[in-house]
Amino acid sequence: MAAALDSPRQGTAPRFAPLLGRFALAGVAAGAASGAWALLVTERAIAPALALEESRAGGHEHGEELVGRGTQLVGGFLGTVVAAVVFSVVVAAVYAGVRHRLPGRTDVGRVAVLTAVGFGVFALLPALKMPANPPAVGDPDTVGTRTAIYVAVLGAGVVTALLVSALVGTLRARGLHPSAVATAAVLLAVALVAATVLLVPDNPDTIAADVPAAVVWDFRLASLGQLAVMWTTLGLTAGYLVDRLARRS
Amino acid sequence: MTSAQQTTRTAVPRMAVPAYAWALALLALFALYLVAQDNGAVLASAGDFAHEFFHDARHSLGMPCH
Repeated sequence: MAAALDSPRQGTAPRFAPLLGRFALAGVAAGAASGAWALLVTERAIAPALALEESRAGGHEHGEELVGRGTQLVGGFLGTVVAAVVFSVVVAAVYAGVRHRLPGRTDVGRVAVLTAVGFGVFALLPALKMPANPPAVGDPDTVGTRTAIYVAVLGAGVVTALLVSALVGTLRARGLHPSAVATAAVLLAVALVAATVLLVPDNPDTIAADVPAAVVWDFRLASLGQLAVMWTTLGLTAGYLVDRLARRS
Repeated sequence: MTSAQQTTRTAVPRMAVPAYAWALALLALFALYLVAQDNGAVLASAGDFAHEFFHDARHSLGMPCH
């Protein structure tokens, strides 16, 4: 339809090394933005949970704390930056592999699509199946089980993305109307997400009665917001930088 | 419409993806594993520090933690 308006400068594909550089830079920006969110919002939601842990310990000295709270705030920021850069490197490799298949007429659109899928797989689906919990909630004895569930949910999300994209490719190749393709893709995605939520075992932990619901709720919103800031910043920044790169090459 | 879209799609050339791209992605994920999950399995005693240092990041990114 709008193919005539398409940028004529799509003749050559960008090379991987500069593409990776753009994504990594966007990853640093995403880490800084979501790290700032962590310090300003998420930490505020963590504080009451830590106070609760403290009061459970009976008020007496915690003794040999290995790392102080101030250092943990730095670690919270840096860990968020590391996660964002890691995601950006992985997304760069995947983007290079699937760029020619992604919907969208510019790199801004294509990067937005891929990072939206990344947010769905690494943030939204886990939040749906096993929402983040603040300190004072998790049972140390079940951390292995919970990690297995978390990894299983991420795996199911990746498989969902692959199957939906395979379906879209097949239906398009058969010349189906785009609205039919979109409907089929949404139906398959909803079915697979529902299957994941229903079939993967639930978080075995029960939230102790002394943990106020508001503490858990505020933390979950803050955590999801932090991941949303991370993936949005990554998508917009990388989209802008890669688009400029592609127009130059 | 469909044919126009397919023209657009084929107009986007396939990128060359070097093998190191995937190696780097795996390495990055392993680094994230060290930050997020390792409880002494790989990093031994340094893992205790890493575990506490990145404690808040692990929680806020929705990863399981006790």
